[in-house]
This record gives sequence, C-alpha cells and structure tokens, in this order.
Amino acid sequence: MTATRLDENILLTADNCRYCLMCRHVCPIGHVTGLETLTPHGWGLMIASNRRGLLTWNDESVFKLYSCADCGTCRAHCVTDQPLPETIATARAQVVEAGLAPPAVGRVAEMLQRWQNPYEEQAPEPVEGRGEVALFVGDEATYLRPGLLDAALKLLEAAGIRPVLIGRGRSNGYVASSLGLIEIAHDLARANLEDLAASGARRLLVLSPGDFFAFKQLYPERLQLSLPDSVDLSEVTVLLAQALDRGELAFEPLPPGPPHAYVDPSHSVRVKTRYDAPRKLLAAVIPAPPVELFWRRERTHPVGSTALKFTIPQFADHLTWARLGDARQAGAQRLISEDAGTLKALGDHAARFGVEVLSLYELLASQLR
Amino acid sequence: MKYSFPREMIRSELEDIVGQHFVSVEETDRLVYSTDWSWMPQMWLDRGERLPMPDYIVHPGSAEEISEIMDIANKYHLPVVPWGGGSGTQGGALPMFGGILLDMKRMNKIIEIDEVSLTVTAQAGINGQQLEWALNEKGLTLPHYAASAKCATLGGYLAPRGTGTISTKYGKAEDMVMSMQIVLPTGEIIRTPPVPQHAAGPDWTRLWLGAEGTLGVITEATMRVEYIPESRLLRAVLFDDLSKALEAGRRMMTRRLHPFVIRLYDPASTKTRVKAILGYDFDGAYMVLGFDGDPDIAALEEEKALEMCAELGGRDLGPEPGWKWWNHRYDFYYPPINLKLPWMYGTTETITTYDKIEKLYWAEKKAVEEGFAEWNVRFIGHFSHWFHWGVMLYSRFIIEEPPQDAREALRLHNRIWNTAMQAVLANGGMINEHHGIGLKLGRYMRKQYGDAWPFLLRLKKMIDPNGIMNPGKVGF
Repeated sequence: MTATRLDENILLTADNCRYCLMCRHVCPIGHVTGLETLTPHGWGLMIASNRRGLLTWNDESVFKLYSCADCGTCRAHCVTDQPLPETIATARAQVVEAGLAPPAVGRVAEMLQRWQNPYEEQAPEPVEGRGEVALFVGDEATYLRPGLLDAALKLLEAAGIRPVLIGRGRSNGYVASSLGLIEIAHDLARANLEDLAASGARRLLVLSPGDFFAFKQLYPERLQLSLPDSVDLSEVTVLLAQALDRGELAFEPLPPGPPHAYVDPSHSVRVKTRYDAPRKLLAAVIPAPPVELFWRRERTHPVGSTALKFTIPQFADHLTWARLGDARQAGAQRLISEDAGTLKALGDHAARFGVEVLSLYELLASQLR
Repeated sequence: MKYSFPREMIRSELEDIVGQHFVSVEETDRLVYSTDWSWMPQMWLDRGERLPMPDYIVHPGSAEEISEIMDIANKYHLPVVPWGGGSGTQGGALPMFGGILLDMKRMNKIIEIDEVSLTVTAQAGINGQQLEWALNEKGLTLPHYAASAKCATLGGYLAPRGTGTISTKYGKAEDMVMSMQIVLPTGEIIRTPPVPQHAAGPDWTRLWLGAEGTLGVITEATMRVEYIPESRLLRAVLFDDLSKALEAGRRMMTRRLHPFVIRLYDPASTKTRVKAILGYDFDGAYMVLGFDGDPDIAALEEEKALEMCAELGGRDLGPEPGWKWWNHRYDFYYPPINLKLPWMYGTTETITTYDKIEKLYWAEKKAVEEGFAEWNVRFIGHFSHWFHWGVMLYSRFIIEEPPQDAREALRLHNRIWNTAMQAVLANGGMINEHHGIGLKLGRYMRKQYGDAWPFLLRLKKMIDPNGIMNPGKVGF
C-alpha cells in the first residue's frame, strides 16, 4: 500500500476545506495556538497549495502539517463529512515517502516495526484461547496505565463476561496512520484483525473511543481493512452501563468528596453516541452531580492518545494544560476518565493544576458490590 | 526565508513587544494569511497565482502591546492589518501592501458576564461560537447569529457592521454594542462611553463600527446580551409572487410585529439553493417566519403574521419547513454544497426602503443577467434583514464556467460588480448592508457619499496621519 493509492480524494477534500472556516471553533490546535495556519482551513490550504506548486514541503511546512492532532473534531462537526483528518494523514504519507518527515516519525516507525508499540521494547502477547467475546487491550492500556486492564476485567467478570484478550501490547495502528506510516499502520491493523479471528469472537470490546474509532472507521477508511460483518463492536463503558441499567452491576457509592468532572477522552467526538454511558457509570460511584468541563461531549478536545506527543510534544502539553485549565476554571478538583492515554497525559501535569486524576475503570472496580 | 537587515531589525523589535513565539515570518503562515474568505484571493490562489503576503504576522496579547506595535508601524511606515477570523467576503483583511498583520485571536478572554444588566465584556479576538457557548452556560445569548459565527471573532462582528440571521428582532451587531476599547493608529488606547444611549455630545462610538480596521483596532467590547428565549416558533409560507411576499413582510414590520426572522427567498433562490440544501422543490417565493419569547405572545404574533400572509395569497406550509431551514441554516456555507470555486460568484447585497426595494431588485437582476448573458450568469437573492422602514436584499451572481485566466476572471468579476452597483445606486440602495466595503467596494465610496466623501477622507487623515491602518480598504 502506498500513499499515492489513496491520492485520488486528497485534492478534492483539501480543495473543499481550504477556504471553509466552519469548524474553526472546535479545532483544539487552532484554539491553543491561535494560528490561522494551524486550523483545518490552514491545513487544507497548505495541501491544496502544495498541489498547485505554491508551497513546497520543507522543515517549516512539514512541521505545520504534523501539527494537526488528528482528533477528528473537524470532521465530526462537518455538515458534509469532509474527511480532512484522512486527507492530512495521506499528505503525511506522501511526505514520509518523499523522505521529508520529521525525525521523530522515523523513531516511532522503528519502534512500531520492531515492537508493534511506540512505548516499550516488548512484543505483544499472543492470543490465548477462544471465546464469544474478545477485548482489545492495545498498547496504551498495557504500558501507560497498567492497572486499567485488571480493573476492566474485574468489571466485565461482574457483568458475566470473560473475554479473550487480543492485541495486548500492540498499537491499534492509529499513531502510525496519523503519522503517515501507512504500511506500518496496515500491518498493525491486520495483526489485530488476525488476533480477533484467532479468538473466534463475535463480539469485540474496546476500552476507549480511540480504539473504537480505529476498528470502526480508521481501518476501512484509511487502510482498506474491515471488521467482519459478523463481529459486533462496542466500548466497555457502554456495555457496563447497560449492565448497570439491567441491575446486573451494583456499586458502593464513595463518601462525599471534592467537586469532580468527567473528562471525555480523546477521539470521543468520533463516537457520537457514547457520551452518556461513562457519566452514568460515574454517577453510580459518585452520586454528587459532576461539574461539566467547557470542552466536553461533542466539542471535546483531545488530551493524550494522539501522535503529537511523539512529534510535537509541546503542542501535546498545551492540549493537556488547556484541559486542566478548563477543569480548574470549572471548579473540578477530581478528574475521571477511562482512556489510558488521556489519564497518562492528565496525570503527568495534574499536580501543577491542583487536581487529582482518577481512572474510571479502577474507581468502579474498587466500588463493586 | 532569509530576511534583509531592515526586516530583521523590525522583526526583532516586534518580538521585543510580544515575544518571539508571537511573531511569524514563515512562508507557510504568510501564504495562509494572504487570503480571506472573499472570492478574489481564493480564485487567484486557485489558479496557481501568488498573492501579496504580510511581512510579519504578529499575535498581540494586549491593547498595550498593540499600542507599541503602532509606534513601530508609524516609525517605519508599515501597514497594519487587523485580522480576526478571516471570514470577510470583501477582502477587508487582505494584506495588500504587506506589513504587519495583527492576528487578534490571542486576545480571546471573556472579561465579565454581567447577569444583572445582561452584558458581556470580552476581548475582540474571541471566537463568536465559543463566546456564545460560554453565554449559553448561563442561559444567555448574544443575539448576533451570523453565518460566520463559527469562525469570526467579536471584533470581526463589529468592524464591518455585521448582521446575523435574527437581526430583524434583535438588531445588527453594531446595535448590541455598549462600549469598546480601541487602539488608535497613533497608539492611544481609548474607551468609548460606557452606554450607547446618552446625550453627551455626538455618538463618536460608531466611527469604528464599519471602519474595518482603517481607523484603529477594536481590542475589547461590551455587548448587550439576552436571555435564551423561552420558546421559538418557526413556520414557512409560499408565495406565488415575490411582490406579494415583500408586501407581506412590509406589513409585518410596519405594523410592529416582532419576528426574529423573515427569510424570503426569491423564486430563483427557492428553485436552486433552497432545493439543493433543504430538498424542497417549490415554485414561487419561500418565506421562513420565526417568533420567539413568551410562548403565548409568540403564538399570537405568528397567528397575526400568517393572517397577513394569507391576505396576500401566501400558503402556510406549516412548521416543518420552517424548522428545517432553522436547523440547516448554516449548511448553505459548507463545501461542496456552498458556492465554490471554480465558479465565479459575488454577493452584491444592498439595502433600501420599502418603496424602492422591489424596483431595485428587478433593476439589478436585469442589469446583471442581460449585461452578462454570454456568461450564463445567474442572479439570485433573498431578503433577510428587515427593518420598520426597509429591507436588505442579499443578491448574488453566479457563473459556473468563468474564464480560467486569473486576470480575465478578476476583470469580469469587477465588471459585473460595477454593473450591479450602478443599478443599486441608481435605485436608492446602499452599496452594502452587512458584509462591509473591504477591498472590493472601496471604489464606490465616492459615488455612494458624494460631497461627504472628502470629509471622511479628512477624518481618516486626522485619525491615521501616516495612513498605516489597513490601507486600500473602505476606499481609504
């Protein structure tokens, strides 16, 4: 697979987006930088201008091309569903093919090729056993928040589910795709789908909206790979919330504590129907009404779980600070989320903002009745 | 790019004021800031041509910093072009002569929401939709629902005297201004009076409304806000005849009903844009009516409005086509369903009194369609901002197969606009109602104002003696 194979739609989307400003208000990078260039319109214009010979890819322009967080918020707010994140990923793939990608991309590529994750020099664990239900673990839950998986498994067991673990320690392919490492992304996705096939599962559970997006949309759209039609995909939070509704799960409420807020994880906007489930679960352990962040639900800004932490870490930090600042402004002293990458990014900077960061799965597991 | 010694000196001085991170001379930034939302520069880039670019893109963090930047601009005689969201349609933010482009988006703080007096004070660079969300959290709304709200800034609402979709009840952006902080071209930081209605001399606050950055930089504004209305009613009515539809709108306004929207599409718009976006295939003039506020009063006003429409043959289509328009009113601006390149298009919107509006509409339509028939030009329009004395005509021309040569296309665009403006001025219209003058309409200012124009030129000279502010715009 090469970038040029995906080239056909790139100019059309870039041309559509280059002069459209209708998603400016939700672009997190545009918001934290205030730079016109670093907005969907700016990226569209850059790509369209490159195609017209008005802009060459060089260190400066490539830096800006890699400044998009690939969070999907622009597309989620586009009335005509312009796939600009996919177009940017394709443009990056062309930059990679031309040998012009930032050095950090090469380092990530090396790790992904060798270890199938960008975090640890450790190979993914093979699939053990078969079953009706599989749980994709991925690399972030494995390496960025190790306690998360045990908590999620405890909760699933309480709901009567013992999943086969797949992709444990392996990237879902999003980071590679986002950086323009299209071949590597394809290999990772194929390996995850092979794990799924080996498990024999007809239901695939994922721990985060980022993983949901990868299987549901990224694989077919960017990599021409698909989940089998017979496999039902859902987030663990959605499944647990349904079990809670049916009375199959019960939790011991925590004693009253400082104000808390739920942080919609990165990529939440790509899964439009998922906003209520984690809030419902959280309300079962912290009955006090939460404060809501300004950048929430359909306008969620990403924190962690994007490729920016590898390429432009200062922008990744800006996004994290913006969410923590949002929390402080809202008066929240405890932040709860379920996505490992989101938790890691928030946790790394939380002390500076005087907030505590808690894992939703771990919190729920600790309060299981 | 490698800068020459003087340029590096100026860059360094600008960095001393705002910090190194907030000055860019990079090629990609200069390219992106070389175009706004107007057709002319977009077409120019589309054809692979290069535009004038700013020399320095500066992101000021305060009025004081802008004041210091003015000192540098005056010292080196550099143009200063304020930039908000870049959503202007008239080229008002184009850096025609290079210089310093002031991107205001770093100044995006809400300073105060006064829930007693119902006002909000914010820095001018705040995004319109983000400001609206913040107000909504408190049950309030800034009733300037511009199509550009998702990208435009508060300063960008005010500088060209913008109008939003519910202006018919709530007024234009300029009508919502309580007061402003402004940095003058000479560097002074001034505040206009704290309230708009008083008798302490002339209303000089309004000098900067419509100046489009040619008389200084709006850095902060206090705006009147409203409670989110308790109820909204939407309805659509179809008229066979545009003349009768205009008369229905006139009766509603002159008899002092308070619709928040009367959106009347001419038959050509109804058959094309309304059909394309909303999916209704109507013959005639499609009118959307909206009433809001107390549910009983809104319902009664709607009933009266429908009676007036029925008297003139308007057919009530019910609430659904009204709500569909309301829920999709901004879809008209999304690609690929918006007007877009490689088409040629222009919005020659105007305003006049009720006694002249219909004649103006037909005169402009005839002049454009007959004058440029060889290009299969289409003229469409809608009437969307209604006053007690008259209404705005949002007229547009569209050519689906314009010249491919950029220069030829630009000349044709200007010729069509000349024809449209001649028809507008000959029929008592203003050359613009809410998009502003920018680069595109500057050449008509003398014709618009006649003997008053030299007075405006003198005013400009007095406020901006070195002519640094946004040169080439608003006719200055």
